[in-house]
Amino acid sequence: MTPHHSALETQLEISLNKIGIPPRPAILETISAEMKKDEPDINHLSSIISADVALAASLINITNSPYFGFRGRVHTAREALMILGLNVASKAIAGLVMRRAFPSSPHLERFWDASSRIAKLSGWLAQRIRNSTLRADDAYTFGLFRDCGIPILISRFPSYPSILNEANHDAVHSFTDVEDLSLPTNHAVIGYVLAQSWWLSEETIFAIRRHHDVDTLKSSSIPPSLNSRHMIAVAQLAEYLLQQHSGLSQTQEWVKLGSACLQLLNLNEAGLERVMTEVAPVIAAEN
Amino acid sequence: MPSIHHQNIQESSTDPITGFLNRAACFNKISQLAKQATPVRRLFAVWVALDRFKLVNESCGHQGGDMLIFQIASRLQDSTGTDTLWFRMAGDEFVHLSLAEDPDQAEQLADTLLNAIQAPLSLNNLMLRPSASLGIATLGTNEFPHACLERADHAMKSAKRAGGSRIVVSGRELIPGRLGIRMAHDELETENKLHIAIEQGGLNLHYQPIIASDGSLLSVEALMRCTSHQLSPAEFIPIAEKTGLIIRLGEWSLLEGANFARRLETAGLRTSVSINISRAQFSMPHFPQTLHAALLCANVDPQRIELELTESLFMDNSCIVQINLRATKDTGVKISIDDFGTGFSCLATLKDIHASKLKIDRAFVVALPHDKRALSVVSAIARLGKDLGMLVVAEGVENQAQIDALLEAGVHAIQGYIHARPMPEDALLKWVWNRK
Repeated sequence: MTPHHSALETQLEISLNKIGIPPRPAILETISAEMKKDEPDINHLSSIISADVALAASLINITNSPYFGFRGRVHTAREALMILGLNVASKAIAGLVMRRAFPSSPHLERFWDASSRIAKLSGWLAQRIRNSTLRADDAYTFGLFRDCGIPILISRFPSYPSILNEANHDAVHSFTDVEDLSLPTNHAVIGYVLAQSWWLSEETIFAIRRHHDVDTLKSSSIPPSLNSRHMIAVAQLAEYLLQQHSGLSQTQEWVKLGSACLQLLNLNEAGLERVMTEVAPVIAAEN
Repeated sequence: MPSIHHQNIQESSTDPITGFLNRAACFNKISQLAKQATPVRRLFAVWVALDRFKLVNESCGHQGGDMLIFQIASRLQDSTGTDTLWFRMAGDEFVHLSLAEDPDQAEQLADTLLNAIQAPLSLNNLMLRPSASLGIATLGTNEFPHACLERADHAMKSAKRAGGSRIVVSGRELIPGRLGIRMAHDELETENKLHIAIEQGGLNLHYQPIIASDGSLLSVEALMRCTSHQLSPAEFIPIAEKTGLIIRLGEWSLLEGANFARRLETAGLRTSVSINISRAQFSMPHFPQTLHAALLCANVDPQRIELELTESLFMDNSCIVQINLRATKDTGVKISIDDFGTGFSCLATLKDIHASKLKIDRAFVVALPHDKRALSVVSAIARLGKDLGMLVVAEGVENQAQIDALLEAGVHAIQGYIHARPMPEDALLKWVWNRK
C-alpha cells in the first residue's frame, strides 16, 4: 500500500462510473508496433510523443530523475528515447499514460504522486540490490501499477475508504484479506486484471496480484518467479524508506512484510541502515 | 600433481559435456559430506531436471540437446560458484550438494537456479524458454545419505507432475499449479510465438454474431485471435491449454470482452457478449474474484456478459468447480452450456444447471439437413433446452438449408458463417449498423 492514504480516506469526488477500465492507450500500441520492426523509427516515435507536450515533459523529467542515475540532462523526447531505449521508455510511458487514463481529482493526484515516488525509488533500489536480477525499469513499472486497483474500488464502493482505512491499520491480517471480508474482490486482483489488459510483463502482473501476500515472499515453492518477488520486496522497501524519510507511516505493511522483504533482498539491519543513509539525499533531491 | 591412476578416475567420473561429476560420484560424495553434517550445519541436495528436454532432443537432434545441456550446466555453475559440487545424474538431470547453516538457504538457492534456467536461450535458430523442476531434500538426523538423494529425486518428480517450472521441498505438500507440458518441435515454436504475442499485445478478440430466429441480434461470441503471428486458434489454443497460458489468455479475454460489452451498451446496443472460459481457468480458486474484478473494471451490467462453459465442466463434482459455479451465478452474469451433445452429457445434472443458453455442437449441424438421425437428436435437444428454460443455439451453420432444418427443429438462434464470420470490433459495429 502507498503512503498518504489519509488523502483517500474521504470519499473521492471522482466518477469512474461513467467509464470502464482505462483501455490500453493508442500511443502504447504505436510504440509496440514500432518496436516489432527491425529498425524502429525513433524520429517518428519522438515526434508522436513530442506532439503530446505533457507526456514529453514527463518523459524528460523521468529520464533526468536522480533515481534513474543517468548522467547529464536530456532536453527532448528524442534524447529521452535514445537514453532510455524503447523498451524502458515504453514502460515509463505506460506508467505516465495510466495515471492520465483515470479521471483527475486532487486526492487522486496525491495518490498517484505517492505511487510515482515509490516507483522511482524502486527503480533506484533495484540497481543497488546485489542478489537480484530485477531491472530498474521493471521495478519502476511495478511501483506505478501496484495499487492501481484502488481508484477503481473507490469509484465503485462508497464504503471502500473505510475498508482501506481498516486494512491500513490492521497489523495482523493481510491487506487483501481485510478487503476480501467486505468486498467480492480486492485491489490486488483488480490491478492484476488491469495490468493484464495493458499487456504488462508476466512477472509484473503476478507481482501485482501477490504484493500483500507474505507467503509469496517467503516461499519459493509457490509461483511467481524470483523477479516478481523481488519487485514486491523492493517496492515495499521503497515505501518504507519514504515513510521513514517523511516521518509519516500510515500503514502496517512493513510490520507484516518487512522482515520477509529484507530476507529476500539479503539485507540485515546494518544493511538497511546503510541503504537509509544512501537514499536520504536521493529522496531529498527528488523533493 | 595427481597420479595417472587418480587422473583416470577423475576423467571417468566426469561428464564430458558439462564437466560435472557423474551419478556414481554423487552417491560417493553424499556419503562423505554426510559425515561433515551436524544438526546446525545441514546437508541438502537440490535435484534439477529440465522440463520438456525430450522435445528439444527430438526437434534439434542430440547435438542440439547437448548444447542445451552445456548452456544450462554453465548457468547452474554460475549461480552457485565454480568451486561447488554439481553432478549430472542423467541426460537432463543434475544434483547439487551443499552444507548450510541457514535452513532457508536451499530454497533460496533453488529459487536462484530456477530463475537462471528460465532465461530465454537461442538454439538452432529457435528461441527456447527452458524451465525445470526442482526437488530439495535436507539430510535428516540418522538418515541414510542415499535416502536423502532419493527424496530429492521424488520431490523433483512431484514438481514435474505438477506441470514443471517449480520447486518442491521434500516432505512439504505440493501446491497445484500449471498444467503439464509435452510438445514437439512445431509446438515449441508455436509456444514461443504465443509468448511473444502475449508480451507484445498481439492477441485480439473477434466477435461472431448469434442471430435469433426473428432475425434480431441476440448476442456476440468473443473469439481469441493471434493477429501478430498469424496463428490460427486451432494452433495456439491447444498449446495455451497445455502450457497453462490459457488461464492468462482467458483472464485477459474476460476483461476485454466485458469492456466490449460496455462499449456496446454505450453505443446503445443491448447485446450481450459471450466469453469462453476454459476448464483450467474455471477451476482456479480465485476465478470468482477475477470475474468480479473484470466486471468492476469494465463497469458493465453483469447481464450483458455470458460465460460459455463446456458441458463436461458441469459434470465436474469437484468442490472448487461447484463453488465457482455458484459464485458465478451470484455475480449475475449468464451462463451457457457450450458444445452440448458431444461430451459426457448427463441428463440428471442438466436438470440442476441454471444456464440461460445451450449451444448445440457443430458436429450435429454439419450433418444437416440430410441426416435424419442427427436431426432427431437436434430436435430432442432443442425441446429439452426449451423445457428447461434455455435458449438453444446452433453453432457452425453454413447454409440456408441448415438454418431451415434447425429452426424447424425448434432451435432459437443461429451462429455461423451463413450470417457472419468472426470479425474485429470495428467491423462488427459496422456490420450491426448496416443491418439496421
